[in-house]
Amino acid sequence: MTKDQSGNLLGQAWLVLCLSLAFGAALAGVEIGLGPKIAENKRNETFGQIPSLVPGAASETSTEAVMDGMAVFEARAEDGSQVGWVVPAGGQGFADRIEILVGLDLPAERITGIYVLAQKETPGLGDFITDEERFRHWYRNQSTDPPLEVIKTEPQPGTGKIMALTGATISSDAVTDIVNRSVAEFKVTLAGSPAASGGA
Amino acid sequence: MEYIASIVLISVGAALINNFVLHYFVGICPFVGVSRRVEMAFGMGCAVTFVISIAAFLSWTFTYFVTRPGAPVTSWIWGMVNPGSEAVVDLSILNYIIYIFVIASSVQFVEMYLRKFFPALFKAFGIFLPLITTNCAILFGCLEIMKHITGASSPAEMWGLDKALVFAVSGGIGFAIAITMMAGIREELDLCDVPKPLEGAGITLLVAGIMAMAFMGFTGVDRGLEALLLK
Amino acid sequence: MPSKGPTATERFINGIIPENPLYRNLLGLCPALAVTNGMKPALTMAGATAFVLICANVITSLLRNVLKPHLRILVFTLTIATFVTIADRFLQAFMYDMSKILGPYVPLIIVNCMIISRCEVCASKQSVGVAFSDAVGVSLGFCLGLASIATVREILGSGTWLELRVLPEAWPNWGIMVLPPGAFLTLGLLLGGWNWYNARREAKAS
Repeated sequence: MTKDQSGNLLGQAWLVLCLSLAFGAALAGVEIGLGPKIAENKRNETFGQIPSLVPGAASETSTEAVMDGMAVFEARAEDGSQVGWVVPAGGQGFADRIEILVGLDLPAERITGIYVLAQKETPGLGDFITDEERFRHWYRNQSTDPPLEVIKTEPQPGTGKIMALTGATISSDAVTDIVNRSVAEFKVTLAGSPAASGGA
Repeated sequence: MEYIASIVLISVGAALINNFVLHYFVGICPFVGVSRRVEMAFGMGCAVTFVISIAAFLSWTFTYFVTRPGAPVTSWIWGMVNPGSEAVVDLSILNYIIYIFVIASSVQFVEMYLRKFFPALFKAFGIFLPLITTNCAILFGCLEIMKHITGASSPAEMWGLDKALVFAVSGGIGFAIAITMMAGIREELDLCDVPKPLEGAGITLLVAGIMAMAFMGFTGVDRGLEALLLK
Repeated sequence: MPSKGPTATERFINGIIPENPLYRNLLGLCPALAVTNGMKPALTMAGATAFVLICANVITSLLRNVLKPHLRILVFTLTIATFVTIADRFLQAFMYDMSKILGPYVPLIIVNCMIISRCEVCASKQSVGVAFSDAVGVSLGFCLGLASIATVREILGSGTWLELRVLPEAWPNWGIMVLPPGAFLTLGLLLGGWNWYNARREAKAS
């Protein structure tokens, strides 16, 4: 009886088993074929931005590092010498989280640029935070101390002031908050790390 | 305090601000199909909440322990087969297949369990259970949880079971809120003179558009809440 | 050989307009609303869905004689989930930016009722050729549906079509059209228009 039943079960399930094996093989093939390409795409997403964030840096030579539990990128020039840092940061925006990359010079005294990786701000208003011409350029070449401030009139560039986007003050505030918070956190980490005292 | 804030933000975010139906457009089929009467809509909402929490629990367990890159169980087995290997084993290509079977089987089990032990509950929303297997809301919940496990930038940001469950339950509640409100409006619409071509799905979608506009008013609430809770 | 059920050509034509999956059968509403704020994501989505639908239909049709009736849903789901994974990986490898925009809606093709209903209604009963042309027809219909919504939303919402500018710069973009409410309103009104047109045509014919 039991034998009969198991034979019956096998008779019914053989198709599913064969299919699973075939599909498993197909998926393994896809993974082997495309896996490296996908990994490269994922790396490019952040590393591809490094040259525009830190002047003189190249994406191929830059490396990932973990400092005191904080994941950062060491922006390196073509010859492998370090020219700055890129710090990934995130926080609550007006709608959903905003993820950005902050570029810093080697002693973390100046912000060299920011890039918005992910955001869902209001189209036509808040989503201009991704725009270099309209918004991101205000962060270039700003001192990291004192913290950046958002104002509504046009400031002189490089004076620690960021001009808010029209109709999207909250989004502008949010980005500036994230930048200030991550820079402050990174400076503490950097001061406590042996790399800083050793002169990198 | 930070922990409470993150939990509150996840639940408010999933239930109201980024409502599953009105913001992410998942679960539209039942939202249009089963929103004629309030009792039925409420039953459907409960069934979805119920199943999504079970599916979230199972899919979190599978993703965290088996399929994510460097998952404990897989690494252990890999270490047994290939001692000394340094490779990080990543089975995340199997995620989608695992999720859909987790959902299908949990729907089956919930159905059997309810029929046997809670006949009253089964009568209330048992008829909706088979429909739920193909409800995108459930799979969407699993996918979002996956995104916060495999896509987390650092291990500290990875969602634990607590956050995954809070997200799933509030997402289900958000779905229940939206579909019940819709049913309430549609009961009133029965008494109205709706233009003939718009009857049924057309007017439902238009009303949903207006509801989505109303729910857009919640945008930004999470930022305020965060500031309030962290101060 | 006496063929039972519609022929390949009939299936093909039927899928496009008379049995349009979106407007007629209201299947696959989630992607129709979620990824139609621009033509590009909409067309990519339609392509991915078409790939999965065609593969699933062909495989189901090949297996139709050895398929046990009570296991068929299991086999359909397994097939669809596998091809969705493959489609998702291809997008991530070759169209990374697009795969980030589409996000969870690519894996959500698994639970798109349109595909499983085509497997059930057509592919599990008819030959490979018919199943294939049916899948192509339905995919075209779905693509037309997505494209129609995306056209309205992108032109009104961003003043562009396929990212080419069609309205003058002075056009005030209707932000609401690229936001969630715009999706509901557009589909609702297009559906109303479709029903109105069909009703009028039937009235004329009779």
